[in-house]
Amino acid sequence: MPKWAMAIDLDKCTGCGDCMAACKLENNVAIVDAEQAADDRVMLWMDMMTIYEGEYPNIKLKRIPKPCFHCDNPPCIKVCPVHATYKNEEGLVAQIYNRCIGCRYCMAACPYTAKVFNWYEPEWADEFKTCMNPDVSLRMKGVVEKCSFCAHRLQKVKENARADDREISDGEYSPACADSCPAEAIFFGDLENKESKVFKLSNSPRAFRELEDLGTIPKVFYLSEKE
Amino acid sequence: MNVIDLRKTIKKNSKRILIALSAVIVLAMVWEIFGAPNAIIQPINYNHKLHIEKAKLTCVDCHLFVETMAAATIPNIEVCSDCHSGEPLSKSPEEVKLLKYIESGKRIPWKKIYSVPAHVYFSHRRHVTIGEIKCIQCHGNVQELTEPASHPLWLATMKNCIKCHKENKVTYDCLACHH
Ligand code: HEC
Ligand code: HEC
Ligand code: HEC
Ligand code: HEC
Ligand code: HEC
Repeated sequence: MPKWAMAIDLDKCTGCGDCMAACKLENNVAIVDAEQAADDRVMLWMDMMTIYEGEYPNIKLKRIPKPCFHCDNPPCIKVCPVHATYKNEEGLVAQIYNRCIGCRYCMAACPYTAKVFNWYEPEWADEFKTCMNPDVSLRMKGVVEKCSFCAHRLQKVKENARADDREISDGEYSPACADSCPAEAIFFGDLENKESKVFKLSNSPRAFRELEDLGTIPKVFYLSEKE
Repeated sequence: MNVIDLRKTIKKNSKRILIALSAVIVLAMVWEIFGAPNAIIQPINYNHKLHIEKAKLTCVDCHLFVETMAAATIPNIEVCSDCHSGEPLSKSPEEVKLLKYIESGKRIPWKKIYSVPAHVYFSHRRHVTIGEIKCIQCHGNVQELTEPASHPLWLATMKNCIKCHKENKVTYDCLACHH
């Protein structure tokens, strides 16, 4: 059974935000208006952690892409009263929107604030309606959503592999953020496959995970010379 | 009428009220069981049996993507006009309707009989080509239909999907079907 994971090379990442945009388009993530954004209700599946270092005027800006970490020991699934969020056999932390009752316990439990809530019925400008991704359903008001590692892409990749009666090859299943990254800083693959790029990167001396001491065991690895 | 009077009236007529209530419930149940849900009426009384037997067509000749894509698709004028253009092939008034659509270039507004909601991923290719499941398992004996089905012969409910998946030892992980 594969175990899907991501590696983000911060030494390559320029913080450009292409991954954020690609993710929003791929997953039909709602766009909130300025007023709602001011209430901190921006909807992002791929967020950007921004860290300011140093004293004015010598400020250094660090930008770190942050999807859902698809933890191997996810705190969010333990608090869900309806089994709408759970970890599947392949290690993906799923969010089944129609099952979700919007209690937001999972949001509170996630130490990485990876989940977002639909405070409003999503509204789309007419120009947007024609470029929705039909593979990802639109969420409704009152449910929690988050990065799925583009699980809808996995379904198609599996289908293609089954049709040709072969295994999924390394790099074949890749989420939109990884595909779009102009610096090629995002890698995706199977941790169980010792030949995969992600497995090798996860064992790099540069590799670390966010808040490792919590025991959540994220499946998103960061790579950096510093820190 | 004050409360005490009302109570008395109810008490006096309790039998009648009970019978009336029971009648309403029974009627509702009969309606539920025998009352026809909204029958689907197609714009043209299309005949599957005729086209498969006389015109020697196979399912994929019209449902073009049933083997290669998720959606089978319902054929429209560009497919029908391969054979139906100019002189009618039959005396049927239904064909006259079809020829009108074709001449005016208007699309035939077929109604979908089978559907799953947008949050469910169903792939014909996965089931028909890879899983080698026959159409009849989910759509009934279509080649014998002389007119469009007015009701789905099989319901694409989660229960029915999972029933077959369990029988065939296929996954029933929520994430396989829900996106
Ligand atoms: C000549 C073209 C043609 C061929 C060949 C054909 N169909 Fe159809 N099919 C149609 C049309 C037109 C409709 C829409 C009208 C209707 O429901 O009958 C349709 C509708 C259907 C539907 C209902 C779809 C829905 O949700 O509305 C099913 C199921 C179906 N066909 C299965 C089959 C199967 C199975 C075969 C092969 C045995 C087949 N068809 C062969 C033209 C065709
Ligand atoms: C391969 C050729 C072919 C194609 C494609 C085809 N038909 Fe026909 N169709 C025929 C023939 C042949 C007949 C006449 C059969 C007879 O009565 O002998 C016929 C008859 C009909 C009739 C009248 C007969 C009846 O009893 O209903 C209708 C209506 C009709 N077709 C609809 C359609 C529609 C709608 C399509 C497109 C989805 C279509 N056909 C595509 C060959 C075709
Ligand atoms: C495992 C069950 C299953 C099998 C087998 C199956 N179908 Fe379907 N079919 C469905 C479901 C479910 C839908 C509704 C799909 C949707 O809404 O996206 C559907 C929809 C359709 C439609 C409506 C048009 C469309 O694209 O949604 C047609 C036509 C159709 N099927 C034809 C066929 C034919 C022809 C075959 C055999 C070659 C076949 N189906 C085999 C389950 C099945
Ligand atoms: C008649 C049996 C049958 C029915 C009914 C059926 N399926 Fe399936 N399904 C299968 C089989 C068999 C496979 C495995 C095909 C293969 O890869 O060999 C499968 C595979 C799948 C897969 C891919 C699973 C994976 O491993 O990732 C999905 C998704 C799926 N079905 C969805 C549905 C949905 C949605 C419905 C109901 C609308 C449905 N199925 C109804 C038999 C069925
Ligand atoms: C084999 C495919 C399949 C699997 C696996 C599956 N579902 Fe479904 N689900 C469906 C289909 C098809 C529907 C739509 C038809 C219906 O409502 O029955 C549906 C509908 C639903 C609905 C109702 C949505 C509404 O608006 O009424 C919920 C909730 C749901 N599924 C949750 C789940 C959960 C939770 C799981 C995992 C435990 C799961 N599903 C697994 C196919 C599937």
